[in-house]
Amino acid sequence: MAIELKTIEHLCELSKLNYDEAGLQKVMGEMGDIIGLMDEIKSFDLTYDDTKDGNEIRFGDTREDVAEESFPAEKLLSNAENTDGCYVVPKVVE
Amino acid sequence: MELTRAKIRDLRKALDAKEIGAAELCKEYLKQIEEKDGRLLSYITVTKEKALSDAENAQKIIDAGKASALTGIPLAVKDNICIDGVRTTCASRMLENFIPPYNATVIEKLNEQGYVLLGRASMDEFAMGGSTQTSAFAKTKNPYDLERVPGGSSGGSAAVVAASLAPAALGSDTGGSIRQPSSFCGVTGIKPTYGRVSRYGLVAFASSLDQIGPICNDARDCAIMLNAICGYDRHDATSAKVDTPDFTEKLGQPIKGMKIALPKEFYEGVDDNVRACVTDAAKELEKQGAVLVECSMPGLKYAIPAYYLIACAEAASNLSRFDGIKYGFRGEGRTYEELIRDSRSKGFGEEVKRRILLGNYALSSGYYDAYYKKALALKQEIIKEYNDIFEQADVILTPTAPTPAYKIGAQDNDPVKMYQADICTVTVNIAKLPGISTTCGYTADGGLPIGMSIIGKRFDEATVLQVADAFEQGFVPVSPKL
Repeated sequence: MAIELKTIEHLCELSKLNYDEAGLQKVMGEMGDIIGLMDEIKSFDLTYDDTKDGNEIRFGDTREDVAEESFPAEKLLSNAENTDGCYVVPKVVE
Repeated sequence: MELTRAKIRDLRKALDAKEIGAAELCKEYLKQIEEKDGRLLSYITVTKEKALSDAENAQKIIDAGKASALTGIPLAVKDNICIDGVRTTCASRMLENFIPPYNATVIEKLNEQGYVLLGRASMDEFAMGGSTQTSAFAKTKNPYDLERVPGGSSGGSAAVVAASLAPAALGSDTGGSIRQPSSFCGVTGIKPTYGRVSRYGLVAFASSLDQIGPICNDARDCAIMLNAICGYDRHDATSAKVDTPDFTEKLGQPIKGMKIALPKEFYEGVDDNVRACVTDAAKELEKQGAVLVECSMPGLKYAIPAYYLIACAEAASNLSRFDGIKYGFRGEGRTYEELIRDSRSKGFGEEVKRRILLGNYALSSGYYDAYYKKALALKQEIIKEYNDIFEQADVILTPTAPTPAYKIGAQDNDPVKMYQADICTVTVNIAKLPGISTTCGYTADGGLPIGMSIIGKRFDEATVLQVADAFEQGFVPVSPKL
């Protein structure tokens, strides 16, 4: 199945991904094949009944809404590229 | 000490009897890794210093007479399970330097037992793939044939066990990622029921399908590992509040009278070697007194699109957190938008990007009903078909994969072919069932392992392990020559 350029560009926008021209052509072809495979599902003649979903995943009880000790901020920030007690991003002027 | 296919329970005996010390055992595995892993590429990170320190602590527990099943046992852990202070990459440039500030619950549980971490096993990037060739750091090879893939996504975990570079490993399974590499590498791996093992600290791929499980040399060791890692966890809202039996209890019990279903669709279109081996295994189980039941699962023909639409929709959402700001790879850009797009475009590999695109396609306006909701309808149908089969059978027996391990590169440019190869495993995740893969034979020409899957009712891992063990007792595995 062929996929249109404007569709793949829209998907790149939704996905926050960039491709150069050659990459875009390649992924257009691959996505056309993949969506062709996904299209097989269209011949399945049943409708989703969301009232049946309750038993599939049993969600546990939510915890008491009380403050608990969490991770130290310093540890949570240890993987950020620049930190000054908070996440630091490059200076941006739009 | 002979480490070839050493079982956890044998190592336990040797450690408790002081025939070997925890540090000595750890060093022996580290030596094997140093000698062999240059060719196999099964580990992304070998945690030598931590391993020796873990072993020292374990020895103190053993000496105090307080050893648990896994005290001093060296293990490998798939590189998508967070370990406090240990680099966890998900085999992705995006997380190349990520060091988690906390432990996954399964790691907390292993720590309580005093396990020894040998290193982080390679995998497909973000667990997306069936070959471990999408790994950004270690494209693992199959120990039985270095020109072939080990399967995936937990290919590193399966390869380390097959090559005796660890007696057991943790993997994760979203659509077959424990069972298929176990099949390709000739080892035994179990995907527990969804909710049996906490997902807290497992880097998410598809949250309604992901599950952590062990890969070992046999079902008995899988039972020991599962005992250690299962149980309710308040940190995971989908963790099940159910009784946790001793999974070793039913091992060795006869399977006489047990009903084993063979859904015919699973046997169509698979390699002749695979069909012959799994059919022979079914006959062997019949000889032991099991009753074989012919049955059908018509929904299987739609399973691949249903699985990929659900999994990729969830992946697109889960992976949206990788923006280059809070942690992970940071690209360049003059604006916030440019920075995020550059970070994601350079941080993710091609297969991950394809799956994000597909997920957003399935969820986007105009396509949601035709794809995503249709996939959810299929999920309900597949659950119903499994329930119908379990009305007349205790377990289900199928091939684990349509083929034995294939040559590296054979599916590189064909994502559709790669996805279709998951046909035998994905429905088990969709229906949240437990499934184990164990070796049932080898190809006649190349000696490549072939796996069969035993699928059970929800939370009935004990019976799944019992049947796998019953078969293994009469089966002589062949170790790879590395």
